[in-house]
Amino acid sequence: MTGIIDAEAATKRYGEVLGLNGFSATFGPGITGLIGPNGAGKSTLFRLLTAQLRLDGGRLDVLGHPAWGEGAFRRRIGYCPEHFALFDWMRGEEFVTALLRVDGFSREEAARRAASAIETVGLTGAKDRRLQVYSRGMRQRIKLAQAIAHDPELLLLDEPLNGVDPVGRATLLRLFQELARSGRHLVVSSHVLYEVERLTDQIVMISNGRALAQGDLHKIRELIDARPHTIELETPDPRGLARRIASWEHVVAIDFPGPGRLSVRSRTPDAFYRALPELVVRENISITALRSPDDNLEAVFRYLTE
Amino acid sequence: MSDTVDLPRVLVVARISWRSAFQGLRTWALGALSAISALVVLALVLDGASASNCENAAQSLFLLLTVRVVVGLVVLIVAVAQFRTDIEQDTLSHLSSRSVTRTEIALGKYLGSVGASLVFLVPAGIAPLLIAGFAGAPAPPTSVTAAILAIVLLATLAYAAFFLFLGLVTRNALLLGLIFLFLWEELVLLLPGDFPKLSLLYYLQSFANGEVTSGPFSGSLTGVSPALDAVAALVVMAFFVALTALLFRNVETAPQRTSA
Repeated sequence: MTGIIDAEAATKRYGEVLGLNGFSATFGPGITGLIGPNGAGKSTLFRLLTAQLRLDGGRLDVLGHPAWGEGAFRRRIGYCPEHFALFDWMRGEEFVTALLRVDGFSREEAARRAASAIETVGLTGAKDRRLQVYSRGMRQRIKLAQAIAHDPELLLLDEPLNGVDPVGRATLLRLFQELARSGRHLVVSSHVLYEVERLTDQIVMISNGRALAQGDLHKIRELIDARPHTIELETPDPRGLARRIASWEHVVAIDFPGPGRLSVRSRTPDAFYRALPELVVRENISITALRSPDDNLEAVFRYLTE
Repeated sequence: MSDTVDLPRVLVVARISWRSAFQGLRTWALGALSAISALVVLALVLDGASASNCENAAQSLFLLLTVRVVVGLVVLIVAVAQFRTDIEQDTLSHLSSRSVTRTEIALGKYLGSVGASLVFLVPAGIAPLLIAGFAGAPAPPTSVTAAILAIVLLATLAYAAFFLFLGLVTRNALLLGLIFLFLWEELVLLLPGDFPKLSLLYYLQSFANGEVTSGPFSGSLTGVSPALDAVAALVVMAFFVALTALLFRNVETAPQRTSA
């Protein structure tokens, strides 16, 4: 494997509890979403990648180095932890500067980088306030500032949008995309699936310490061929449309969830999406809306964990 | 994990650790503990005690209270918190996930705890003598002042190393530290034969008795030279600093699991 992060049967135990249970996945370049419910093993993976925890079995490499290692390569990694614990007695700018100095930057360089990172996350106005008075959203931003301040090649962001207000979320999502465009690699964990869906198609799904699936979201959806795919349509004549498509071989069920609405379950959605436009043109059928609730991450994850 | 040690990084960690020792009510409690001897001597001065009585009281309080109780307690509270609080509050991740090495973190935390302890303990040792001076006592001999500073420094260096180690290896570090200070250190001193040599207090008191030839400090307890006493304290320091750094390189720094 030659990914940014390579895990092979990575296992971490907390006494009787398995934090990671033979987790195998490769995280490639760009943005990868690490998706899983609370307790799935996301934070354990991040703590292993940042050498706070040690593997009990398997292999875990980051940027070509064993994760349980220290030294210069760690400067290529930025880490935004999930927890909100900070050195509360410090001021915002002092916090970022101190961590840069721990990383070996000179006083002047650390101050310059800290100011720049704090500006990037939109905290310049609060940089002189003590961290103990920071809100959760501000704490999340200052954690991000210290993670990006040393210009790392790889960013490990554990639930980075927790506690951030909607406007802030949009800003941070844009920031992540900009970082990826400038050549950084990001691993972003979340249990709020639509956020990751807005950020990337590349995902690793984790549950109970195991990687359930990885790769392109839509390809993962294709893996779930045992489950029919739901397509919802809005049309003035749902019963007429239903009569026409009922004979299609891949259609396994049709529902009428409400007035003017039709819900179709198809074993092969690609075939459905090919056949539907032909029917619409040929029969001059009006369809006012079409959506596929199964295409979002929430549905994929629900199927995989059922 | 590598053996690299970069002094500027160590000093940055030391500064963070030093600053963190002065947070909250703990600072006031340590300050009050360190001021007890000075307050007792001040009370004697205000009560009109003679200059020599005040001076003797200052020196006696140093040996009986500061060395035997205050130094150990202050260093225990400061040093144990360095690793234990950081691990339990999950703030150690901010350091341990960066490129600073584990050895540098351990050394920085050690220096930070020594520095923070000395802020309380140097005044605790010297202030009673200065206050005795207000009662008309002659300035203490240089040997007394130097002995006090040396004892405070040696005790801080050795205790900080041991308590830092305790804070790293056990969640019950504070309790174990108290047991060490008030059972082991005191009881072993009372045992016959060579048993007292297993106590750090033995060497600290011996150092005081060997360095000063008049007043409460005088009268050699052991016949061991002050240089050997100092070496004993420094060996304890070096052993536990090295052990802490070695262990820390292999210790997981995340707190007890709350969720995966």
